[in-house]
Amino acid sequence: MAAPLDTDVAIETPEHIVFHYRLAGPARRALAYVVDLVVCYGVVLVIALVVVLAFMGDRTTKDLGTAAKAGSGVVLLALFAAQWIYFVVLEARTGRSVGKRVMGVRVVTTTGRPIGWRSAALRNLLRAADALPTGYLVGFASMAITSRFQRVGDLVAGTMVVVPESARVATPIELSPPAKPKELATLPEDVALDADEREAIELFLRRRLTLGRAREHELASMIAGPIGERLGFVHPDPARLLAIVYDRAVNVGRGEAPPSSYRARTARKPKDEQPWR
Amino acid sequence: MALASTLTERAFAERRQKSWDELDSLSRKSTQHGLRALAADEVSDLPSLYRDVCADLAAAQAARYSAPLVDYLRGLTATAHGILYGPHAARDRDGSVAVRRTWLVAFPRAVRKRWRAMLLATGLFFIPLAIGLVLTLRDPSFAFRVAPEAMLRPLADAYARGFDEGRDAGEGTMMAGFYVYNNVGIALRCFALGIFGGLGSAFYLVQNGLTIGAILGYVATQGAGANIGTFIIGHGSLELGAIVLSGGAGLSLGWSIVAPGEQTRLASLQSTARDILVIVAGAAVMLVMAAGIEAFWSASSTPRPIKLTVGGSLFFLVVAYVLVAGREGPAAAPAEAQR
Repeated sequence: MAAPLDTDVAIETPEHIVFHYRLAGPARRALAYVVDLVVCYGVVLVIALVVVLAFMGDRTTKDLGTAAKAGSGVVLLALFAAQWIYFVVLEARTGRSVGKRVMGVRVVTTTGRPIGWRSAALRNLLRAADALPTGYLVGFASMAITSRFQRVGDLVAGTMVVVPESARVATPIELSPPAKPKELATLPEDVALDADEREAIELFLRRRLTLGRAREHELASMIAGPIGERLGFVHPDPARLLAIVYDRAVNVGRGEAPPSSYRARTARKPKDEQPWR
Repeated sequence: MALASTLTERAFAERRQKSWDELDSLSRKSTQHGLRALAADEVSDLPSLYRDVCADLAAAQAARYSAPLVDYLRGLTATAHGILYGPHAARDRDGSVAVRRTWLVAFPRAVRKRWRAMLLATGLFFIPLAIGLVLTLRDPSFAFRVAPEAMLRPLADAYARGFDEGRDAGEGTMMAGFYVYNNVGIALRCFALGIFGGLGSAFYLVQNGLTIGAILGYVATQGAGANIGTFIIGHGSLELGAIVLSGGAGLSLGWSIVAPGEQTRLASLQSTARDILVIVAGAAVMLVMAAGIEAFWSASSTPRPIKLTVGGSLFFLVVAYVLVAGREGPAAAPAEAQR
């Protein structure tokens, strides 16, 4: 793995497993806020329209004033809920307002856990401070100088906004078609790649299907030359060269490895015992 | 650099996929429908599935499996971690006990614990109020410097008319909505802006005190002093009390940054904020109650002596509640000490 970028936060679980959360930046959060504004004030507007229409329809009756006034009281209550209650309830219950859901972000505590009522209430009460003097300038300034993009409300509540990883398995990289013995003639038994090389090749192999033929060739030649030279391995197709090298480097010595990557003289017998059920 | 795993990535994934999928579907179910949507055996499966994925993640990292697989396992781990270590414990407590404890014990205690800030807030609110009142009584035009003349004149006229007409239900509802929107909003803002070293709260307290004093004074000079007095006494104890409480909470918040004691400023701020949140919630509840009283009772045509009696009793009730409620009785203390 590459060193974590500075927009990642490492969370250590009680099981001593470390995983990383990607932080949501100001732009994504601002967009989520705009969505929330539209949702909140849209609902208030709809209520106001209903009240106005009811009032218009009621014009002939004597009681019309009463209904209209009561209706405007309800509109004011809705406005209050939009400003102070909406965010607290949604974030406390699900960790995300509608806007955050749309933008794919979530509020968690700085220890990576879901937030409760207190944190949700605090971070949204402090919105009043973040919104000062206008357009959330205090909030942006605070996000700029804190390491986790926290606005003042986040600091007080001990929360941060993250972009959760989407849970989807990618298929492992496989050499296809399988290497022919002729191709492997010059490939050494031990292929040592350092972490950077490995990651570069892996990224390339995952991307290669989306690249044009010429671009694929161009990218592969940049790195295939030096690597092939170092290993004393030659292959006419640089992309194929990388795939074969990667396959051997990754799979050599492992159980159920394809024959192309398997060592002829086994230094280590694959264990019969299966460590993972 | 040694490869920890003896399996290829594909073989590893194929072997473990079933339990990943199981964890994934449980995670989805409980994030979408809540933990209570899970069946009993699903709940008991969750921790062991989670621990297995933790182990898989560690193995995948050690074996240097490709980034997408590791990211996938991280995502699974993160989601399940959030579910397992979420704030469930607090939620499962008996609801009515928690509510009773909050309002009969925690809230008044939190207020008393911050008595210095509350005293300061009382001063910052009532001294400007008295100054505004006195200055306006001596010279009514002082009121126009604090509040617009266009607002004050109709206000004085309205109070001069008295409450014989009362208010109809529609107007009551409208005013209740307005009081909630306006007053609770002010109280919450008054708390939040305390983050700037308490200055925001102090400003709100002084400004509101001065304005209310000036309005009282102005209406009194226009000959409706008794009427506005009758109006305010009904809900005043709750409303003005709540403004003072939220202002005091804001001052505490600010002070926790100015003088963090032996903690870092951030830690002091965070623990203070958690402590005083109940005061803010209490102030909001008091203001909602005040809004109801102000809208439907204070302006009603109920005779003045009744309003004065009820309002006065409410005042003593509020003061007694804040000062006395939640104290341990003399009998309870030794029992507590023995434990």
